[in-house]
Amino acid sequence: MMLTNSSQNFAAGQISRTGQTGQTRQTKDLFSRLLSLTALLACLAAPSPLRAVDPAGTAELRLKLIAVLQSDAPPAEKAITCKRLAVYGNRDAVPALAPLLLSKELNSWARIALEAIPDPACDDALRDALGKVQGRLLVGVMNSIGVRRDAKAVEPLIARLNDADGEVASAAASALGRIGGEQAAAVLVKALLSARKDVVSEVAEGCVRCAEKFLADGKAAEAVTLYDTVRKASVPKQRILEATRGAILARGAAGLPLLVEHLRSTDKGMFSIALSTARELPGQEVTQAVAAEMERSAVDRQTMLVMVLADRADASVLPTIRKAAQSGPKPMRLAAITALERMGTVEVVPVLLDGATDEDRELAQAAKAALVRLPGKQVNGELVARLSQAAGKQSRVLLELAGLRRIGEALPAAVKCAEDSDATIRAAAVGAIGLLGEEKQAADLVRLLEKSQTPRDREEIEKALVGICGRRGANCLPAVLPLAQSANSEFRLIALHTLSGVGGAAALNAVKSASNDQDEAVQDEAVRTLASWPGNWPDDSGVAEPLLALAKSGKKQSHQVLGLRGYLEYVQAAKKLQSDEKVAKVKELLPLITRSEEKRLAISALSAAPTAAGLEMLVAFAADSSVAEEASLAIVTTAGKDDLKGATKELRRGALQTVVEKSKTDRTRRKAEEALKRIR
Amino acid sequence: MTNANQVRRGDPHSRAAVSNRRQFLTTAMKAGALLAAPLIVPGAVLGKDGGVAPSERIRLGGIGIGNRGSYVLSCFLHEADVQFVAIADVKETRRQSVKKLADAKYGNTDCAMYRDQRDLLARDDIDAVLIATGPNWHATASMLAANAGKDVYCEKPCTKNISQSLALAETFRRTGRIFQAGTQRRSLPNFVFSIELARQGKLGKLHTLYAHPAGLHTVSSGWLPGEDEPPKEQVDWDLYLGPAAWRPFNKKLLDGFNFEKGGGMTGGGCLEWGSHCVDLCQWANDADNTAPVEYEPKDGKLFARYPNGVQLILRNDGWLPLGSCPVRFEGETGWVETGDNGDIVASSESLLAGKGQKIGGYPADFHVRDFLECVKSRGRTRANADAACWAHIACHAANISLFLNRKVTFDVKKCEFIGDEQANRLRSEALREPWRI
Repeated sequence: MMLTNSSQNFAAGQISRTGQTGQTRQTKDLFSRLLSLTALLACLAAPSPLRAVDPAGTAELRLKLIAVLQSDAPPAEKAITCKRLAVYGNRDAVPALAPLLLSKELNSWARIALEAIPDPACDDALRDALGKVQGRLLVGVMNSIGVRRDAKAVEPLIARLNDADGEVASAAASALGRIGGEQAAAVLVKALLSARKDVVSEVAEGCVRCAEKFLADGKAAEAVTLYDTVRKASVPKQRILEATRGAILARGAAGLPLLVEHLRSTDKGMFSIALSTARELPGQEVTQAVAAEMERSAVDRQTMLVMVLADRADASVLPTIRKAAQSGPKPMRLAAITALERMGTVEVVPVLLDGATDEDRELAQAAKAALVRLPGKQVNGELVARLSQAAGKQSRVLLELAGLRRIGEALPAAVKCAEDSDATIRAAAVGAIGLLGEEKQAADLVRLLEKSQTPRDREEIEKALVGICGRRGANCLPAVLPLAQSANSEFRLIALHTLSGVGGAAALNAVKSASNDQDEAVQDEAVRTLASWPGNWPDDSGVAEPLLALAKSGKKQSHQVLGLRGYLEYVQAAKKLQSDEKVAKVKELLPLITRSEEKRLAISALSAAPTAAGLEMLVAFAADSSVAEEASLAIVTTAGKDDLKGATKELRRGALQTVVEKSKTDRTRRKAEEALKRIR
Repeated sequence: MTNANQVRRGDPHSRAAVSNRRQFLTTAMKAGALLAAPLIVPGAVLGKDGGVAPSERIRLGGIGIGNRGSYVLSCFLHEADVQFVAIADVKETRRQSVKKLADAKYGNTDCAMYRDQRDLLARDDIDAVLIATGPNWHATASMLAANAGKDVYCEKPCTKNISQSLALAETFRRTGRIFQAGTQRRSLPNFVFSIELARQGKLGKLHTLYAHPAGLHTVSSGWLPGEDEPPKEQVDWDLYLGPAAWRPFNKKLLDGFNFEKGGGMTGGGCLEWGSHCVDLCQWANDADNTAPVEYEPKDGKLFARYPNGVQLILRNDGWLPLGSCPVRFEGETGWVETGDNGDIVASSESLLAGKGQKIGGYPADFHVRDFLECVKSRGRTRANADAACWAHIACHAANISLFLNRKVTFDVKKCEFIGDEQANRLRSEALREPWRI
């Protein structure tokens, strides 16, 4: 790997993000991004090179803002003005901002503007302040100089490296590191040897930042030297780790031995930084080296190294991971399965399939989950091809995968397997058909149902049929309607469940007919089906008439109750009914509504039809202790409407007053009182 | 991070919530839940089998633990391989309250208390920290912690501006530390399932992504009239302000939740939910290392466009009733929408096969577990610093567009707005002394 300059690195990063695919994309991408982020921060930190813009009105605003700073305005006003100058200021604002650097209260506000305005006058002002402020204010000024990377400030910053105040000396080291360059680097290296304990960490970090800048500028050799100096110095452990990473990456391919050395380190921190660095360093030889380390490591490290290989997404390592997934300690096998999934290619299918049939349940589930999530049509093709050859456990797994991955091409094989002698394969096949099938497969399932031998088979087929009918609707009628005429009452029951999924007039007629079936169990199921008929209004509004008939004259009380409930739900949901019509329909049924369950449904229906007549009925319900609170709440909502159809203010007030007097719920009473106030 | 949501949801470790999680853990790997199962290294890989010797536990510290922090901390405390050992908070009441919780959990008095997080970070026996301060501190504290050699789980929004977002990613690369943004929806089955539909092409070629921002108004915390400052031991105002520009004490600014959220002139805006919902859209669009290139406020919405042409729309209304933080992904052959109640709605029932068990209430348990596994394996978390960086850049760029109330165009290679100096100046903001990142 050659590093040239930052702009080339940016370009490389972009290409790898958008144009490349395959084994090395991810590692190249990581490395490019490493450099890109460093250089991007530099771009943001430096005064923006962009062409100045000065939209209309900005000049006038700027003059006003500068005048505020130069006035006796209170600090609060000056503070916010500084923020606005960060956006609208230019060099003219600097003379007004600079004096604020001496203010304990306003220093930080002034720096917001001075850091943001892209004019060298800001650098001059900050540099000038170095000799005027002390302590934390000085730290702040140096921090801003560091952010702006003012190369002219190197000398005065060097002078502060040995400041008695540790915070000041540290800030100087930090700013020098951000500015970078040979002079700053040389001074920081020298300081590394003599820095006090409270400063040495910042000096080391300054060196690391200088090295990063060297690297971004294409000066890899200088970067290597600097990184090596830090990692061999007596500095805090974390700085050594950072320098070690940098030393490996800056060396490029030549950094591999150093990487391997630390992958073998017994020091936990060194091993950890080697793991993260191994994800960043590009090159197939790096992948191979990591794979070799994995094979020679102890199990706990093997699992971590497998995950590194997964993140490197390098196809050349597939044999190693495949082997790890197939044998060895379970933790490593699990990690290898995860790694195979992350590799995400069709080549990993066979080994994952083997894993999915493993005796160990956890391993099998992990492999199956990976197979479900593997992207790509090629994977689907591979699974279908294997399905036609498979047997036993693998057949079952493949069928399950076909359903979960929605592989339509697997349907012919699934239909064939649905007649397998092995009950578990039949169940898996029917399950897949249920997920994938269309009307043609619905017909296949009906034929299978007629031939089925066991209750479990019939149960699985019914589930699959309901699934297909729910998706394909009326298209399935030709397949399903004959079932409703079957001589076998069990099949007629199954037909009812599937017709409910189909919906529409023809299906409804068949269910209506079934409510008069010769078999009482079929009658009961038909009534239940009608009562919960899908609410795809207006397509299914035809259910109203049979429900009303059931409510009024059902053969059994249970039929009457179910009819009444279904009808009230229909009234509430029907979009074609006007509010007046809904209220009239509820009113017509009032003599039949005797139980609190149905009363609640009636209240819901009336709530959905806000009219004066409905409000009167709600007031009547409020007198019924079993549903008084529900009715009260509905009254508050209904009577609170200023545009309530046909209702006088008196009617609304009276209804709300009823709630205020009768409701036992504080919240409802309070709402009623608020609504009353609004009417007045 | 909304307190109201927290209250509405109740205690996530109530019997029901724990039961939900247990049910999920036991059923997630069943066939029906295969697609929804989080892609994390199984615990057994890393030796997590219930009993964990004290020496093998991850030693955790907390920084700024208030309402939201207490909830996330409770998720950590439920994990057998975690030992919580110290709390740093500028407020004495919170220090005491967290210590009481930890000491009660372990039956000792070992939890140390610090006013200044730097004292906690100086301890070399702490492996990781949970940062749940207000947004003002999130990025700075995360980078301080990484530089001190700690792994970090940090609540969202994680950064205050574009510059901080880039610095966050760079710092975690340089230090090799593990970072997990508190965007726990990245680990929740309904969101993961929906994102997989988009990423695997099951919706056809993606063309539009929708994110709920929970508001699109940018705000600035400002300077309120000074009040009597409490003693440092009770509330350390200087540390509370931290990297935010100085202003006198005023208890109205002490809520932490909204103080300097996003900083600059462009705080708030879409950051509240955007740091979740935009983040999920980024993932769905396979855009964890980029951001939209155009942003335009129009008709109460924010329209953005990715380099691959996919449109991102931030809107506050027009959502199906699926709870808070909804997202919707639309492709040429289908769409899917999901939210915090755990339900998933799609253009076709067939898309929902294998969606697994519903888990509502956006628990953080799975996300915390993912973090802990990565602390051990040194792997990449679901909401790692790079992903968080770009999701936040997208939010900040949207906020800048909202603040300027006009279209802005963003160069993702250079991370600058094209020909737009005003927008560019809003990419970063000076930190108050002595803080730097």
